[in-house]
Amino acid sequence: MRPQPPEPPRKPLSLPVIHILLALADGALHGYAIKQGVEERTNGTVRLGPGTLYEAVQRLQDDGLIEEATSRASDSANGQQAQRRYYALTPRGWDVLRHELRQLDVILERARANPKLRKGLT
Amino acid sequence: MRVIYRLLLLLYPASFRRRFAAELMETYDNDRSLPAYRGAAGFLRLWRYLVTDLLRSSARQRWRALRWRADSRPQLPPQLRRGFMETLVQDVRYAARQFTRRPGFTAVALISLALGIGANSLIFGLLDGFVFNPFPYPQPDRLIAVGGTFPKLSSDTTYVEALSTPEYLDIKQARSFARTCAFDLGNRNLSGGDVPERVFTALVLDDPFPVMGMPPLLGRGFTAEELAPKGPKVAIISHRLWQSRFGGDAQIINRAIRVAGETTTVVGVMPPRLVLIGTDLWLPWGGEAAAMPRTARQFTILARLTPEASLDSANAELATIASQTQAASPELKEYEGWRLIATPWAAALLQDVRPAAFILLAAVGLVLLIACANLANLMLARSTTRHRELAVRLALGAARSRIARQLLTESLLLGLAGATIGLVIARVGLGFASALIPSQFRMLDLQAGVNVRVLVWTSLIAIASGLLVAALPAIQAVRTDPHDSLKSDGRTGSGRAGARIRSTLIVAEIALSVVLLLGAGLLMRSVLNIGNASLGFDPHGVVTMRLTLPQQKYPDGPAITAFFEELVRRVERVPGVTAAAVVSQLPPSGFSSSQLEIEGAPAAGTTLPTANTTIASRGYFQALQIPTVRGRTFTSEDVATGPLRMVVNSVFVSRYLGERDPIGARVRVVGRGGPGPWGEIIGVVADARNNGAGAPVRPEAFIAMEQGRDAWNQLFLVVRGSGDASSLVSPVRSAVASLDAEQPVYLIQTLEEGVALSSFQQRTSALLLGIFASVALVLAAVGIYGVMSYAVSTRTREIGVRMAVGAERIDVLRLVLAQVARLAVFGLLIGVGLVMLVRSLIAGLLYGVEPSDPVTLAAVTLALGAVALLAGWIPAWRASRVNPLQALRYE
Repeated sequence: MRPQPPEPPRKPLSLPVIHILLALADGALHGYAIKQGVEERTNGTVRLGPGTLYEAVQRLQDDGLIEEATSRASDSANGQQAQRRYYALTPRGWDVLRHELRQLDVILERARANPKLRKGLT
Repeated sequence: MRVIYRLLLLLYPASFRRRFAAELMETYDNDRSLPAYRGAAGFLRLWRYLVTDLLRSSARQRWRALRWRADSRPQLPPQLRRGFMETLVQDVRYAARQFTRRPGFTAVALISLALGIGANSLIFGLLDGFVFNPFPYPQPDRLIAVGGTFPKLSSDTTYVEALSTPEYLDIKQARSFARTCAFDLGNRNLSGGDVPERVFTALVLDDPFPVMGMPPLLGRGFTAEELAPKGPKVAIISHRLWQSRFGGDAQIINRAIRVAGETTTVVGVMPPRLVLIGTDLWLPWGGEAAAMPRTARQFTILARLTPEASLDSANAELATIASQTQAASPELKEYEGWRLIATPWAAALLQDVRPAAFILLAAVGLVLLIACANLANLMLARSTTRHRELAVRLALGAARSRIARQLLTESLLLGLAGATIGLVIARVGLGFASALIPSQFRMLDLQAGVNVRVLVWTSLIAIASGLLVAALPAIQAVRTDPHDSLKSDGRTGSGRAGARIRSTLIVAEIALSVVLLLGAGLLMRSVLNIGNASLGFDPHGVVTMRLTLPQQKYPDGPAITAFFEELVRRVERVPGVTAAAVVSQLPPSGFSSSQLEIEGAPAAGTTLPTANTTIASRGYFQALQIPTVRGRTFTSEDVATGPLRMVVNSVFVSRYLGERDPIGARVRVVGRGGPGPWGEIIGVVADARNNGAGAPVRPEAFIAMEQGRDAWNQLFLVVRGSGDASSLVSPVRSAVASLDAEQPVYLIQTLEEGVALSSFQQRTSALLLGIFASVALVLAAVGIYGVMSYAVSTRTREIGVRMAVGAERIDVLRLVLAQVARLAVFGLLIGVGLVMLVRSLIAGLLYGVEPSDPVTLAAVTLALGAVALLAGWIPAWRASRVNPLQALRYE
């Protein structure tokens, strides 16, 4: 028996988690593809170890932000790939990601209000 | 490497692994194939990254899992939660209810624990009072004795009457010692009352009170002036002498008493229980310490460590002093390799008793362990029947820790109740046991009782046994799966694991019993051997007593000799007396030995020759019936003015003269003032035990009383009668009084008593170990009976089936007894193994028997086998009576 999903997280999401959600916003991905997507997206500055990756996946899943998608037939070229689990954003996941990005936007907005910071941010 | 990563995944909680292991491995495979991680450097980089990632995330996951478990446990509403004390009270009340509901179980448990703990408290109390903490002095472990080992003379370290005054003056220099004192032991006549009295006396070089750390009860200690040579005649008396002889007279201080015929002023009374080796009178020694020969080693040295010093620092200083002495006195050969050794006084005084004491303590400990194993078995059987109850409680949400805690409370309660009864047993037992201690030990005025140390010890073992008893049932209860237990009929706990635990406990019990049985058996064999060993003399019908002649009345050799010759003549005329003699020391325990020189013997040996040197009157060998082996013994021709003659024993000849003809060989005693005159050996007598009944005979050289150079004024009177030895005491006393009415006799005992006393320790140890071993055997039998009964009851159905398909009663009997035999054989093997491991501990107590003695082993095997079969017989017989029809219906 799994515990009831807790309330939406009050704490801001960590940067790797935001990147994972952003990667999934482009479409359902399997675990290793998430990792590759995040690393590409950040030019390798954010590196996800396998443990860290699946830890995040577990938490996001338990919190109801992502879910297992039905596997895409197009990838099932061999037996191994047929076992792959694909993850996709849930509606709540979309909401949380949007909310989080708005928060970042607010931060950026406020930063731009500072003349010393404005240069180079535009 | 893939396998290693797979194994490392075990660091994650199982739930995480179940969900992600396959994907984690896939990630690993993908990473591994990346160009960045090719080659040796890439390999290292990959693993560093993988391992740090793994350690961090697995730690987080584990923590999360723990938190989740804690949070998801159903919590009682706050109004129902209980604090520590409330829970405790609840548990205690629950346990008490459990116990009163099952009085049979409770009684058995309580009695076995009370006996086990009581025996432990009793033995500990005895040993605490007599061996570990015998003295009332403050900080007794800092009161130390300085003893000496002279490898050239003997391998023993002696502390009492071990060193000489010049050696004492050297030792006094050590900075580790805050205070030192030295004393010589002697006897003094105390006259001036109705009866003259012999008093055991210490002649002290320095004031002993500050060393002991106790002030006098009345008066004061000795002043420097009194301790100086030719000081005033003063005395300090013991509390018990003050009570017995002076009626506790508060005006005793500065009163004059007569000690050895001289008027002496009492300056102090010692506090109760302060007795130096049982002395009742302290006098200043009053000699020139520096002028005494180094070989006059008759002094006992005590010291108190400074607060900064330790036993180690003291020993280090003593080692330096010893080597300096050796360098300064090259002419004294015994200094070669000699050592000075500091040891706490209690340990030094009781060094012979301590091994036996520890063995006894270990033995009662084993008995308690066996009792605990039995009790654990009982509790296990009971927890099996309580299985359903516990399962229901678990299913209703009780925490496992809470249930374990309750079981623990139950056993601790049992343990404490057992300890309370045990303390009563110990208290009563100590009273009886103290009375059984022979006077030789009571002379030290030791006391045993229930004190703080005994209380602490008892509580500790009570708690330990409570924990031991509770451990197995608690573990079993915690492992209970409520799901399984509730589904089954409530008898699941008796499965294979339960049976194995119980069998293991029984094997352990048997093994421990075997250890005790073997120990007891070996000691009993030793005692029998000592009893059967030829003493070399005949103690039957002999009574001995000691006389010390005062110096004023008998100032020199001729006067002393004349007195004793006349005494022997008068005693010989007493009706019933067949022989009489006087001697300076006699079997079974000689105490005075000297260094010797043997003419023509190679000077450089590993050890210098030493022998007991004994002054004896002519009739001595006849009185003790020690046969002459060669030559002759003393006659009336051996007079003071004639050439010195000696008689030696057989060991003397074989050790020091080898193949030489002993008759005519010349020997001289190296006494206090250097070598004495040469003496010629005129005869060899048979060996008589002169070093305790259970120890090898020491070489002994006898000198005729008339020729004793040191004018021995302190001799034993040995009287042999045709009848009962003790009936001779009073006529012999009259004979002494007819010669000198003021002359006291003391240390009166029959020689048989003396022989018995010398093996007291072995006999007591054997007796106590025998009792403990019997108790252990009974406990083990009860354990075997319980386990087999239980096993049979769980196998009733199986046995019924066997009988239904044609098994005979004898087959069933054999089936059950074979199981008993298996347990017994296992236990026996382990027990024998254990004894072999610790055999060096017990070897010192044995006489004429090896730890691996086959006779004892066979006897123990037989006894154990008989008891095991007897204990297994009843369940086996019951099993063989099983009615197959009933058994098959039995559910």
